[in-house]
Amino acid sequence: MKNRMITLCVNGRNYRLDVMVNRTLLQALRDDLKLVDVKYGCGSGECGGCTVLVDGKDCINSCLTLAVEMEGRNITTIGGMTHEGELHPIQQAFIDEGAIQCGYCTPGMVMKTASILAKNPRPSEDEIRRGLEGNICRCTGYENIVRAVQTASQVMYDSQIQPAGGSR
Amino acid sequence: MSEMTYIGKSVPKVDAREKVTGQVIYAAEINLPNMLYGKIVRCWEYSHARVTHLDLSEAAKVPGVVKVLGPGDVTQKRYNTGVLDLMVPEDMGKHLLGDIEDQRIFTDHVRHQGDAICGIIAESEEICELAARKVIAHYEALPVYLSAAESSQPGAFQFDERKPGNRTFQLPEQMFPNNAYGWGDVDVEMATADFVIEDTFYVPKVKQCQLEPHSYVAFFDLAGRLNCWTSTQMPKCVHNKLARLFELPISRVNLVSTTIGGGFGGRLGMVFEPETCAMAMAVPGHPVKVQSAREEDWVASESRHPGKYWLKMGFKNDGTPVAADAHFTSDAGAYFSHSSGVPFTTGSWLTGMYKYNAVRYKGDCYYTNQAPSGAFRGYGNPQTNFVLEQIVDQACLKLNIDPVEWRKRWHKQAGDDGWCIGVPYSSCSLDECLDRGAEAIGWKEKRAKYANQTGRMRRGIGVSVMNHTSGAMPMLLEHTTCTIKMNEDASAVITLACSDLGQGSHTVLKQIAAETLGMPMEEIHLHVNMDAAGFDIGSHASRTTYVGGGAVMKACEDVKRQLIERASTRLGIPVEELEIRDRHVVSKNKSQRPEGAEGNAADNLRNNVWGVGASMSIKEICSVGVYHFVNPMNGEANGVPGQIQGYASFFPSHNSPPFGACFAEVQIDIETGQVQVLELVMAHDIGRAINPKAVAGQLCGGSHQALGMALTEEIHYDAKGLCLTNSFTDYKMLGPVDMPKITTILVENPDPIAPYGLKSVGEAGPVNPVGATANAISNALGIMFTEAPITPEKILIAIRKQGIV
Repeated sequence: MKNRMITLCVNGRNYRLDVMVNRTLLQALRDDLKLVDVKYGCGSGECGGCTVLVDGKDCINSCLTLAVEMEGRNITTIGGMTHEGELHPIQQAFIDEGAIQCGYCTPGMVMKTASILAKNPRPSEDEIRRGLEGNICRCTGYENIVRAVQTASQVMYDSQIQPAGGSR
Repeated sequence: MSEMTYIGKSVPKVDAREKVTGQVIYAAEINLPNMLYGKIVRCWEYSHARVTHLDLSEAAKVPGVVKVLGPGDVTQKRYNTGVLDLMVPEDMGKHLLGDIEDQRIFTDHVRHQGDAICGIIAESEEICELAARKVIAHYEALPVYLSAAESSQPGAFQFDERKPGNRTFQLPEQMFPNNAYGWGDVDVEMATADFVIEDTFYVPKVKQCQLEPHSYVAFFDLAGRLNCWTSTQMPKCVHNKLARLFELPISRVNLVSTTIGGGFGGRLGMVFEPETCAMAMAVPGHPVKVQSAREEDWVASESRHPGKYWLKMGFKNDGTPVAADAHFTSDAGAYFSHSSGVPFTTGSWLTGMYKYNAVRYKGDCYYTNQAPSGAFRGYGNPQTNFVLEQIVDQACLKLNIDPVEWRKRWHKQAGDDGWCIGVPYSSCSLDECLDRGAEAIGWKEKRAKYANQTGRMRRGIGVSVMNHTSGAMPMLLEHTTCTIKMNEDASAVITLACSDLGQGSHTVLKQIAAETLGMPMEEIHLHVNMDAAGFDIGSHASRTTYVGGGAVMKACEDVKRQLIERASTRLGIPVEELEIRDRHVVSKNKSQRPEGAEGNAADNLRNNVWGVGASMSIKEICSVGVYHFVNPMNGEANGVPGQIQGYASFFPSHNSPPFGACFAEVQIDIETGQVQVLELVMAHDIGRAINPKAVAGQLCGGSHQALGMALTEEIHYDAKGLCLTNSFTDYKMLGPVDMPKITTILVENPDPIAPYGLKSVGEAGPVNPVGATANAISNALGIMFTEAPITPEKILIAIRKQGIV
């Protein structure tokens, strides 16, 4: 299998990485860069646990994406949401609304939320529920996650906070 | 009870910040120096076969492979992944359980697809994968049995000589005459019935689907200690089981309980810890990490017990349920696992619900070639709910009685025999749950409105009630140990072995400690460590807040007792005249500490600052207990010596049962058979909610699992016993769009026995939305469905059969 040298920008930091061309972004993040805040849940794009934000807007399943495809792109994981110890409004909303139980889906859910709100800052409940499809939570019944997205949307709108993940 | 500071407050989960920043460590994130990787090699081609030839030599030659292990290279001891053998006295276990150890680490008799046949240890996961493909295994196919009905036939292949007829369990004659649980003479009572309703139901094999796949690290260190990092729900039981399996004293096993990415019963007892530890034992000095793939969870870990459930109930025309006669024949799957637990409790929930004149429940379980059945949140209760609540609704139809009214008239009340006959219910607020739930959903109006519908979209509304338990006392061992160490600055560390599956048990345990000690939660640390902590049976049976909370409360009271004794000695005031208030031990005569009164107790005493009575700060007592000095000039000590530690080894005296009423409203498209659940109202008898938001979260989350069982979820196998639904695409759970509007109502009438009056909620959610949804569908279509999940196919077939369209 061939290797290729790529540059990944993850959470605002540039990494030079020599990766096999069949290596997934999930493997590159978790195993090579030790950014273990991205989770493996199924390895086949069904659970959304490995969701990351790309260029501040789209979200992808990192288990279905080859690392080499992400050459030069801006990746944001949940670890990149916090600035100087201060939580992003999305993170705060997940805490306040009780949207976290076991926490395993949380990194993917938060990044999916960032993507939903980057594309549509004031989504309706129906748009939120449709947006969250693809990210599985087995603990909450989604109720409090939907509430958290609504709260985050409101807070970000009121305070004019820019969506997460840098440039759009 | 006076106003409380922490009880009843929806404080954020104590681990929420760690979880929402990605800082939390699950087992898959444990990386240690010199770590190797392990792979459990499974049989994927057969569900029942003998391994006739296993050649690991080619796999061993793959560069980077450190060791290959076949069945003969690991301990030959058999084990049971479940934990019931640790929970009942030996004499009772002999009858109730029998021989239950029927699993081996690697087997040459494959009993289900995914059974482990050998292990590979290598320098990377990729090398493990490559080597696994080089394993040469030849099989001799054996007959495949996919239900109890098949495996119980005479002449069927015998899975285990100790279990004749492949029956893993029935209610034992020695404890339950005629192998039945209940009371009264069912035959006599049934004969007095004005009418009888009887049917045979099927309840499906459904999966916990916790998001975190099973991952472990094990390390047999060079000091001869076996270390295992695992997200088990029952750390102490697994600790004990691993020690027994590998014949080590418990003190030579270090079990580290990692953050649990969901459990729901799926991590109740051991999962893949035996294989992981066996691999680590084979390479002393090297940690071994095993990360299982999602597919492995479907084929090799446990699920809810499926089976055939027959129920016959006799009624008088005035509604009296004269008799209930039931038989649940369940599929154990490939191993014994929880064979004795679920088929027993399934009956408990039945007998515990209504005031039948007589009831007779039989429960048994048979080996099959499916993945083993085990524990899943609710433990038999969703199965009973689907069956019992539908039969009751059929009776209400015949009686022309409102189903809510019938339930209010005939459900068991406080003082009636509980789910365990002989232990009366300590409290019951089910009437209030039914009233408030009915009002919230608009029961009467909607019931009337949906009576005579035509057209494509049909709506229906249904109700279902449930009972459960707070801990498994008196059937199973209930014991939690807790230590509370007071630091020299009066902050506290709680040490115990209770796990938090994500439901928030560590949060509520800290709330209970903060309330009881009268100190801020922020100054309390909760430390889970199996070396340091005493016994705890683990998170099951909705017990952690009830029993763990009881242990924490008792240990806090022990701390308070010691603080008061110290102050008494120092102040010269009798213990009975002292109390703790505002972080001081104060004389009861003095109700309030005056503004600005500081300084140490001796000064206060001397100066009589506080007037009558006296006070000593908790901080001073804790500090001088540690920093104890005797003045060499005058021989006077600065206080009473000794660091304060509170301790409790707590055995609860009851199981303060929760009750609940669930209402569901559905809309059915009779052209497609699609069911949409529009609304759920869940009214729950919680006694007292320690953290209302967390309680509501348990109900909402549980309902997701219930609605899945009612409508979409089932593990399917092909004729060869190979799993057809080993992914989240093929196994259909409801998504965010499919979930209904959910209203939770917490009915709070404190239980007289429970700590702070609390009752459990952990297993309530996945139970009665099952029956309520089924009853709502029946209300919409006039058809009772006897097989769950009630899929569009089943609905269309039934609609055509009934000539509705």
